[in-house]
Amino acid sequence: MFLTLQANDKRPIYQQITDGIKSLIAGGDLREGVTLPSVRQVAGDLGVNLNTVAVAYRQLQDEGFVTVRHGAGAVITSRTPRPVDKTELYQPLRTVLTQLILAGLTEHEIEEAVHQQLALVQQKGGAQ
Amino acid sequence: MNAPTEIEMLGLSTALVVISLTYSLVKFTWKYPLRNGPEFFMGCEVPTGFYDGPGRTWLKSYQAIQVALHLVLGVALGTAIALRRWDLTPLCCGAWALLYVATILIFTAWTRRKLGANPPVRPVALALESRRLGDYISWPLEALMFAMVAVSWWLLLSAGETRIKWLYLLYLIWFVLGLLTCKIALIRFSYPLPAERTAEHYRYQDAERRTWIRVVNVLSWFLVFVLLSIALRHTRSLARMEPGLQWFVRGAALALGGSCIFMAFRGIRQLTEMGRDLRPVGSWATPFRASSMWITVSRAYQIWFAVWFGVLLVMILFLCFR
Repeated sequence: MFLTLQANDKRPIYQQITDGIKSLIAGGDLREGVTLPSVRQVAGDLGVNLNTVAVAYRQLQDEGFVTVRHGAGAVITSRTPRPVDKTELYQPLRTVLTQLILAGLTEHEIEEAVHQQLALVQQKGGAQ
Repeated sequence: MNAPTEIEMLGLSTALVVISLTYSLVKFTWKYPLRNGPEFFMGCEVPTGFYDGPGRTWLKSYQAIQVALHLVLGVALGTAIALRRWDLTPLCCGAWALLYVATILIFTAWTRRKLGANPPVRPVALALESRRLGDYISWPLEALMFAMVAVSWWLLLSAGETRIKWLYLLYLIWFVLGLLTCKIALIRFSYPLPAERTAEHYRYQDAERRTWIRVVNVLSWFLVFVLLSIALRHTRSLARMEPGLQWFVRGAALALGGSCIFMAFRGIRQLTEMGRDLRPVGSWATPFRASSMWITVSRAYQIWFAVWFGVLLVMILFLCFR
């Protein structure tokens, strides 16, 4: 199972790693109980700083997607994150929808785009 | 019939090394820069028609370096044999291996600097699978190997002989100790995978890792049996009691040496086949800095590796020039 990082992505590397792992969990590629490679291994394989990967793992841990066990590494715990406030959860969606409306897309086009993207996320390994 | 003497063993090993290196030069090394096809030179992407122009000079330079390196070994081994200093042959091979690796690494770095200065930046794929040492190294076998080394040393220390060349034995044992370090480095080291044909690249990378670990394993066993055979030879009571044991240990050492070379050649052939149409490492850049082996290993390992390599180098130089 592979995580793809884009060269021209504006997000910081730790965010790309976090989002990538989340989308693999959402797509069912990373199931509960699967152990992620160590921070050292990921940092070495990508050629990034240890702290970059540690921050990504910590974020996943804070959001309830992984548990870090001493000696066992980071283990995927759940497909659902810790309970969050729905207003907080929908905030990024509202931002994107606003951008799409401002870009001139009709309601029908927006609905179609959302369905397409959702299908991509649910498709195995197709999400980023 | 007596078991082969130490000089006969060294002669056989030297012959094996010379034959294998000649075969390797003709079969694999001579056209190594072209292993990924005419679009690449030493893994760097080159324009079409490169080998009709400047590519010819690059290829000739590479081949001249190979010939020069092989001549250096030939002259060193020839001198040692002419002087009847058979004991110098393993040292010549060890020192030459270091020289060879260093020269080829410098040449590769130079090639990448000149031909692949601005490779295209491509998306990077990361395999989310843990590489545990236990998946590649058999710890019971490692323990058995170290037990055999301990037994050999116990036999040597209790033999009470004055003719034992302790420095050579230390060199041997130091080399064996370092081979475990090399295996760990092989497991830990990796490079970013390209986003296209990722699974194939990943399989190739894993096959590469397993091939070289297998070769290093057999090489370690070869050296352990060499040490054991030396220990048995110096333990007179055992040597008299069990002449068959000498034959067995020396035969096993030679068989292991032969299989090490055979496995290396078979591995190179299989890897060449596997990676023929895969984009070679170095022909693309990543959005990040170059992958580093030093990040993947702990500080303790880094110190141990530096100490091991430094002492090995000092030992080789001391034994060659004292």
